Formats: sequence, C-alpha cells, structure tokens
Amino acid sequence: MVRKTGSDRIEIINEETIFTFQEICERFGVRGEFIVELVDYGVIAPLKENSAEEWVFDAAALARLSRALRLQRDLEINLPGIAISLDLLDDVQRLRRQVSLLDRQLKQLLGD
Amino acid sequence: MEFKDYYKILGVAEDATADEIKKAYRKLARKYHPDVNKEAGAEEKFKGLHEAFAVLKDPARRAEYDQLKKLGAFEKGGSFHPPPGWRSTARYDTDDFSQGDAQQFSDFFASLFGRGNRAYQHRAPRMRGEDIHARLGITLEEAAHGGEKQVQFSVAEVDESGRVKRRNKVLNIKIPPAMGPGQFMRLRGQGSPGIGGGEPGDLFVEIELEAHPNFTVVGQDILITVPITPWEAALGATVTVPSLGSRLNVKIPKGATSGQKLRLTGKGLPGKISGDQIVVLMVAMPKIHSAEAEALYKKLAEAEGKFNPRSHLEG
Repeated sequence: MVRKTGSDRIEIINEETIFTFQEICERFGVRGEFIVELVDYGVIAPLKENSAEEWVFDAAALARLSRALRLQRDLEINLPGIAISLDLLDDVQRLRRQVSLLDRQLKQLLGD
Repeated sequence: MEFKDYYKILGVAEDATADEIKKAYRKLARKYHPDVNKEAGAEEKFKGLHEAFAVLKDPARRAEYDQLKKLGAFEKGGSFHPPPGWRSTARYDTDDFSQGDAQQFSDFFASLFGRGNRAYQHRAPRMRGEDIHARLGITLEEAAHGGEKQVQFSVAEVDESGRVKRRNKVLNIKIPPAMGPGQFMRLRGQGSPGIGGGEPGDLFVEIELEAHPNFTVVGQDILITVPITPWEAALGATVTVPSLGSRLNVKIPKGATSGQKLRLTGKGLPGKISGDQIVVLMVAMPKIHSAEAEALYKKLAEAEGKFNPRSHLEG
C-alpha cells in the first residue's frame, strides 16, 4: 500500500538532535543498566562522557543500538561479541564498497 | 494457505532431538542473518528459520505442529487446510513474542498460532510502538538535487483478538537536496503501531550513497576518469564531461598528460562545504591506425625522439 508522505512529516536530523538516556530506554524497551553495559563495552557511545543520567545520544547511536539488539535477539551474541561484530560488519561494508570500486577501476585500466 | 515445513526449513529430520534442532538453527541463522548476509533472499530465508525454530524449539508447540501436519489436508497445488475447528492451545509466554519478533512471522504462523498471543494483548500495558531503523540508498544525483524515493518495510500489528499480523508498508519520501551519506531522516509515527493504545514508534532512515557508474566519491569530491585523444592532450581542447545532472565544458590544457587532474570547484557533492568534481585525464589510443596515421606517427617519433618514458626503468 502506498501512502503519500507530506514533506512536513519528514525531519532531517541535524547535529542538534539528541536523545536522552531515558528516551533511549523507552524507545527500545530496555532497562537503564543494559544501556550502561552497552556503553561500557563500547557498543554505543554517548556524546559526552559524563554521568549516566546525563548521557545523550545521536541518531547514529540509535541505529547502532537497533542493530545490536537484533544481533543479540537473533543470534544470541553476548555483549563483547556484539561490540566486535558491529565493528567488523562496518569494516566489511566499507571493504565491499572499496572492492567493487577497485574492480571497476581495474576494468577501466585493463580495458575489458 | 501455503504450508511451512519447519523441519525442512531447518534441514533436520522429523525425529530430530531438541539439541539437533538448536544446533541446526544456530548454524543457519549465523549464515543468513541479514546484517551478515547481503545476498538477495537472505532476509526472507532468515525469517523462515527464525519462525521454524520458534515453533520447534518448544516441546508443546512442536507437538501441536506435528499433530497439525498429520491431521491437516494437503492439496496438489501445495495449499494446506488445518483440520476443521483446529485451535492452538499451547501456551505462549508473553516474553517470547516481542513486537520485534512478531515482525518476522508468516501468514501461516499468524493464522494457526497467532491466537496464542491473546495473552500478550491483555497483559501488555499501554506501550509505545518500536522504532524502525531502515537504510535508504540514493544516487549521487539524488544526493545533490533531492528526489522522490520509496522506502519499504514491514510492520507488526496486534489486532483486537490479540493476533499478530505483519503488514508491508511503502512510503513515498521526498528527499531534500544536499543529503549526504550517514545523515538521518525521521518520520514520526511511521514505526510499529503501539500496544494497548500506545503511540506508534518512529521510522528512522539512514542515507547511503549508491555506487555511481561514472563517479567515485572521495569525501565531498567526486572523481571521474575522462579519456582524451593524444592530439587533444598535445594540442589542448574543449571537451564535454558529465556532471551531477548536467554536462560541463572542460578545457584540456595544452600538453596534458595521463593522470593529470583538473578540479571543477563546487561541482561535487553539495553540503555545508561543497565538494569539487575532479576530472582525471587518461590518454586513450585507437586500436587500429590507418596507413596515413602510421606514417605520421613515424614522423612524430623522430620529432619527439628525446622523450623516454622508461628512463627510470633502465640500468
């Protein structure tokens, strides 16, 4: 089903848009202690390293948190595993792009 | 409806032990998880695995499923009818089927086992719907000038009878110009519907740049390799070159060489700091030369005799 979305309903998220610790817990239905653990393991990072209740996060952290929870739920990975998995997945994506780019350049050079 | 053979999906025998089933699921789940596997169909496959395991991992549900399989009617075309009046009675823990999980179950599951979620509906307090995070690939032209894109995702809904249903949503979004990779857009209220009258979640869309056939992105700049003829390089020329959404006249300086870069300011990706378009020249030779051309090349060889491009490789 197709719905026309008026441009007034789309917000471009800029650097000023932040999400509080409390808000993150509500959005993802997780307990505060869990968020603290995730930050502890480096899965997500608050914008400033102050005390937990004052933490604020950006949209990128939300997206990363969403992927972390999916990995935890779907693949039963523990927190250290999730931290490294997300980093590796980012690396893999970056490398895939680079490879496909180099492939193209090589083809141009060798005149396929 | 189409019957889902959960044993076949997990690749286990019908008398497999719980341990064998768990091992089979874990191995396949790792392989087909959409965050890990980017091939087409991986996500669908993963959803199927998840559903199969959700049913077979619990003895009560598995027993029900086996019974259903035994007593139901299969038709030639592959459609399946449960025995008349069949009802799922296996207890479903409310924790088992969160909204996130429910997004992944097929119609087969929802119609036969979904009713167990009635308990979920009553016990769940008024809860905000989950956010949905999606990635959207846009072309370089769309990044520069904006455009209309479609975003597709599936949402889970719990209806009045406590049944969890998946719904495919398609939204038309107008991307404004100057959107860069890694930027986020939010559509409030377009996430999963809330529970017990709660607010719906939001849809977050992360912008990704799609690979372009001609341009390479380096930061805010875009690079394009432009072949020129030897005479254009030697004598200089004006050539047209594609740009983001238009064509530009570019002056090839006299005495240009392969690998030389020409910078077209402001013609790269727009943004707070506008990028440039960088033209990388490449001298291209025709493969076949007329007799006249060959004769001219011989003369050229004599005239340019002092030029040795391999001096650094000799001695």
